[in-house]
Amino acid sequence: MAGILIVAEHFDGVLRDVTQEMIGAATEVRDGLGGPLAVLIIGQDVDALASAANLEGVDEIVTIAQPDGHFDPALYEEAVCAVAEARQVRLVLIGHTAAGMAFGPAVAARLGSGFASDVFGLSVEGSKPIATRSGYGGKVSMDLAFPDKPVIVLTLRGATFKAPEAAGNASILPFAVDLDTVPGAGNHIDYLPAPPADVDIGKAEFILSVGRALGEDKNLPQFAGLAERLGATLGCSRPVADSGWLPKAHQVGQSGTIAGNCSLYLALGISGAVQHLAGMKHVDTIIAVNTDPEAPIFNVAHHGACVDIFELAEALEREFN
Amino acid sequence: METRELFWEITSLGHTLFFVVAGAAMAVAAAGVAWHVYRYARARRSPVPVHPWRGFWRMVFDVFTQRTVHRRDRRAGHAHTPIMYGFLLLLAATSIITVEYDISEPFFGFTFWHGDFYLAFSLIADLAGLGLIVGVVYMMWRRWQVRPPKLAYRREYRGETETRPDARAWEWDDTLFLWALLLIGVTGFLQEGVRLAMDQPPWGPWSPVGWVLAQIFLGLGMDEAAAAAVRRANWWIHGIAALAFIAAIPWTKAKHIIAVLGSLSTRDALALRRLPKPALPRTAVAEDAEPEVGFGSIAEFSWKDLLNLDACTKCGRCHEACPATASGAPLSPRDLILDLRTHAARSAFKPGANAAALIGDVIEAETLWSCRSCGACMEICPVGIEHPPMIVQMRRQLVEDGAMEQQLRDTLDMIANRGNSFGESPRSRGGWTAALEFPVKDVRAEPAENLWFVGDYASYDPRNQDVSRTVARLFRAAGLDFGLLYESERTAGNDVRRVGEEGLFESLTEHNLTAMGEAKQFDAIVTTDPHSYNTIRNEYPDFGDVAPIRHYTSVLAELLESGRLTVVEPLGKRVTLHDPCHLGRLNGHYDEPRRVLELIGCELVDMPRCRDNSFCCGAGGGRIWIPDPVGKERPAENRMHEAASLGNLDTFVVCCPKDLTMFEDARKTSGHEGDFVVQDLAELVAEAIDLKSLDLKEVPALVDRITEAAATRIADTVADRLAERLAETVTERVLSELATRAPTLAAAPQPAPAEEPQEQTEATPTAGPWRAAPASAATLPPYEVPAKEGPRVLVAVKRVGELNPDFAIDEAGGTIADEHFEYELNEWDEAALEEALLLTEKLDAGEVVAVTIGPEDAEETLRRALAKGAHRGVRVWDESLRDADPVTVARVLAGVASQESPDIVLTGAQSADLGHGATGSALARILGLPHAAVVLGIEWDGADAMTVTRELEGGMRHQLSLPAPALLTVQTGGNTPRYATMRMIKQAKKKPIAVVDGAGVGLDQAGAVVRRLYEPPKSGRAAMIEGDAEAVAKAIADIIRDKRGEV
Repeated sequence: MAGILIVAEHFDGVLRDVTQEMIGAATEVRDGLGGPLAVLIIGQDVDALASAANLEGVDEIVTIAQPDGHFDPALYEEAVCAVAEARQVRLVLIGHTAAGMAFGPAVAARLGSGFASDVFGLSVEGSKPIATRSGYGGKVSMDLAFPDKPVIVLTLRGATFKAPEAAGNASILPFAVDLDTVPGAGNHIDYLPAPPADVDIGKAEFILSVGRALGEDKNLPQFAGLAERLGATLGCSRPVADSGWLPKAHQVGQSGTIAGNCSLYLALGISGAVQHLAGMKHVDTIIAVNTDPEAPIFNVAHHGACVDIFELAEALEREFN
Repeated sequence: METRELFWEITSLGHTLFFVVAGAAMAVAAAGVAWHVYRYARARRSPVPVHPWRGFWRMVFDVFTQRTVHRRDRRAGHAHTPIMYGFLLLLAATSIITVEYDISEPFFGFTFWHGDFYLAFSLIADLAGLGLIVGVVYMMWRRWQVRPPKLAYRREYRGETETRPDARAWEWDDTLFLWALLLIGVTGFLQEGVRLAMDQPPWGPWSPVGWVLAQIFLGLGMDEAAAAAVRRANWWIHGIAALAFIAAIPWTKAKHIIAVLGSLSTRDALALRRLPKPALPRTAVAEDAEPEVGFGSIAEFSWKDLLNLDACTKCGRCHEACPATASGAPLSPRDLILDLRTHAARSAFKPGANAAALIGDVIEAETLWSCRSCGACMEICPVGIEHPPMIVQMRRQLVEDGAMEQQLRDTLDMIANRGNSFGESPRSRGGWTAALEFPVKDVRAEPAENLWFVGDYASYDPRNQDVSRTVARLFRAAGLDFGLLYESERTAGNDVRRVGEEGLFESLTEHNLTAMGEAKQFDAIVTTDPHSYNTIRNEYPDFGDVAPIRHYTSVLAELLESGRLTVVEPLGKRVTLHDPCHLGRLNGHYDEPRRVLELIGCELVDMPRCRDNSFCCGAGGGRIWIPDPVGKERPAENRMHEAASLGNLDTFVVCCPKDLTMFEDARKTSGHEGDFVVQDLAELVAEAIDLKSLDLKEVPALVDRITEAAATRIADTVADRLAERLAETVTERVLSELATRAPTLAAAPQPAPAEEPQEQTEATPTAGPWRAAPASAATLPPYEVPAKEGPRVLVAVKRVGELNPDFAIDEAGGTIADEHFEYELNEWDEAALEEALLLTEKLDAGEVVAVTIGPEDAEETLRRALAKGAHRGVRVWDESLRDADPVTVARVLAGVASQESPDIVLTGAQSADLGHGATGSALARILGLPHAAVVLGIEWDGADAMTVTRELEGGMRHQLSLPAPALLTVQTGGNTPRYATMRMIKQAKKKPIAVVDGAGVGLDQAGAVVRRLYEPPKSGRAAMIEGDAEAVAKAIADIIRDKRGEV
């Protein structure tokens, strides 16, 4: 046998988006690498999960019953390796997530496989997979090949590949692995809810920041509402925080927080003081709106516009309504 | 004969009693003085040289002219002068009487207190007494009626509504002091009045006040008996009051009378301009003794500091001058000094108490961080107290303890790693010159008359870069020969030192001095930055030879005066000038910028607070790196109001890069955007000489440039060839070395793929027969591992590279040259290390071993880990590991772990450079350890199970228990990594680092091969979206959707 094995990720009985996205990525390379395309589901209620994973392009769904259903890297490693070995798969796809990071590399080390993590591009060249990932804060991309490797383990970046929409007609194959006596397994204690929702600029991926053009604090709710609608974290420049219009935690910049994980930054009414730029100029995509065409923010932004931010906010509000 | 009777109607018992009381008073006073001297003698030595005799005459001058007391409070000065002189003359008068009565007459039978001498004596003493009383009455009226805010002890700047108990004692001290002086003066005159009323000597009018009083008493019909009764009783009142005062001198506010003599004499001429190096302990004998860190307890204050504390008169001038106090920051220099003094006195009475925690209990850390080290407090202090050096000494302790704001720690780390506070690439330090029409000399390559030390803000801040270019053009236009150190220049360190990071300051100084020493010939240094100016001028000489330095304001003044720059049209602008603290107050250059303004035809209107009383912009002392509190007026905003109040101002002129940044910002936030503009002095000069019309490209001569260009081309070609040859040789050497090592690898388990010929893979879809080939621990040469004492935590740390903005990829070679990287300790590993340290600290046992894979340069990173508290380091390296993939790295780490047998292994969840997020989990598999990834918290008592909290997407967390030993990959945010000072990093050199050969492990790796390295396609810089709000919104929405992958 051969083919591709996708390790499904799920939480609380729901398949995580990255699973469907991995199926999408796999269907793109399935022809080049050869099938079958199998999805492995390890969990408690595997049937419900299997039907969610039964998407166009999936040939088989392999299920392994795991009584307590809580993620454990030792169990996942054991199960994935057992299946990979039994099916002699060529390519194992795992989500680059908190869970995937815990067992993906372990699977690779155990199989002695080719390995790459946080992969956001996947292609085939002469029947061999080529993975694309980046380094140095996204400044450099690299294409990786895996010569001489009979099996390759990749962890794929989420929210990158497109999931198939149509349902599939995969066959479901239960697989038996003894997960009761896996050495190194932990004991589940509890799930703790996220700490009270204060903003975390450092971790936010999409930030909508407001600057001095806000004028006064009563204008704030309009932008807070817009940020929520766009699914963005509300940030601000130093004057806004200094004026006490927003808590310090929202401030982006050298004296605030560096937008370390941000990939999309919408700066509204921010002229771009050096302290502010230090916190966001590295972001992949920066859109700046300011009435002053000479504002320094345009030097670091990728897209710019000179319009009134209040009018723009209303228009955006309509656009996403 | 003209004289008077002493001890009128005093019985011999009274006589004796008086001498007993007098003796006791003197004894109490003497004991007080002795106690102080004893304290000073026991205190630390002064870290700065003290030249008391050189300072003595200046002290005499200041005391007798009362110069310092008159400054910025003339009325108080006018009142203090007669009090001081009155007190002094009356003291002298009493002494004269004592000399005759107790010494010259009984022993030598010689008297002089009579006749004309007596008459002059009476007149002078009377006037002195009158002056004393008038002065004291004014002071009382001022204190209790005028009530200047600087005399109030309630800490309104901290939002307190009650006066603290200690401060109430200070109020009593002030009150008693004034009343005691008044009582002594009034009873003295009363005594004189009744005496003259009774005796009515013909020379009575020689004591004018007493004589007038006598006339009044007589006029009011006072009879002899009443006068005698008053005379008898009042004699005792006056005498005892005066003696009590003398006894109280060393113990109360009056002690300043003595302490000021010392504090003024021992003033440090370079105070704050040149901060003290850390002092050697008092007991230090050896030259290489470890110096003190800073002031962590009152026991660490030097005798000079204690003397300063004792000299304080609570006059409040520093309180009034301090920009921190004025902007509601939790610092008043006066209260700081008084709190320290109270604590010092109290702890001197309680043995052992003087070592008690000073910071936190007596002085809040936030108080110390509030200081801008602008020097306004010490500059105005009439008794010569030097507050800022004490504050910096206490800050040194805070830095040592890592007790500082995150922002500041990050900035210090950036300065340590990159040599600038912006976190920018050192290579782009000279980037601002690129937009100039002419090349700027590199002093490292060719000599120049002037070395321009640019400084951080003038190098990296875009607004200030404009100014730097203007200055460069002005120099060029004037034919001033200058060059830069480019990336060899680092932060000068003025503010780093004032923050209290002495070790980092020293390393910056060392670096810059070396860079200057290695540069080609230059005669002088110029700079636009007053902070750099100050430290290079006053502090660098303590560390090595340094050329004379000038501030550009002096240079511009000279160029304009000598005609090398010619004013085309006087500007006629109405301007005001902000004196930078480090230029004016600290270094006395008040006139140069004013001369420039005059020469370019500006009308200068000074602000009320100017020159020595200039009001700090708030950026000094490292405050520019610390966020200001929210909702309070910042010093710079306060200054903007002051400027605006001048009216009709065209320009607020600055001559300091930090000022430009601070005031440009404050002008907007304080609502004065429409009132005036903020400009650098150089920009006005450029306008006045019509710089734009000058063609700066023309110099130097064409022929020079041709020769130069040819030379460069030849040099480049040669360099390229040389580099090629070198690269070839190095590669050959590495390969041959690795080949010779191959046999030693036989013992290490070899992964299968290397045995398969590559061609096979082309033929079939699968690459050879399917087989699992588990990665195994690398066999590394054994190194010395000490016996385990308690749990051993192994932490893997990595030196990560960050790419400079102007990096280039060698696409053919699939590499990026080393020069494009800035290296630092991976922040996730920093979190892992912190977790490791917390674990062992909590267990109060065990050992943290930091391991890294990297070349010798990476030892810096390892030392940082050791400085933070790791006990030992292990560094593994050979060239084969240069581009090792995560599994190979894990194999090497496993090789180390198999020798260390750790009880817990920690790694960062990922690295900041390549972000694999894989090494830890792969390592756990190779070692067969239970593991968890992305961990925020660990609870472990050293036994066989631990509770681990790992972070899931969206902030939810998962708690589980794992058997020990285990491996955890640590996420940032679960802890706050401690700060390692440069001193600690240097000291960490003493900790052992085992260097282990990589044994060619990297040759086996083939987890992945980089096929192509390239820059991801980027959209153009700020493509402007045209159209109205509606159109812009549509375009933005498209970008957002595209980014989310919704299109």
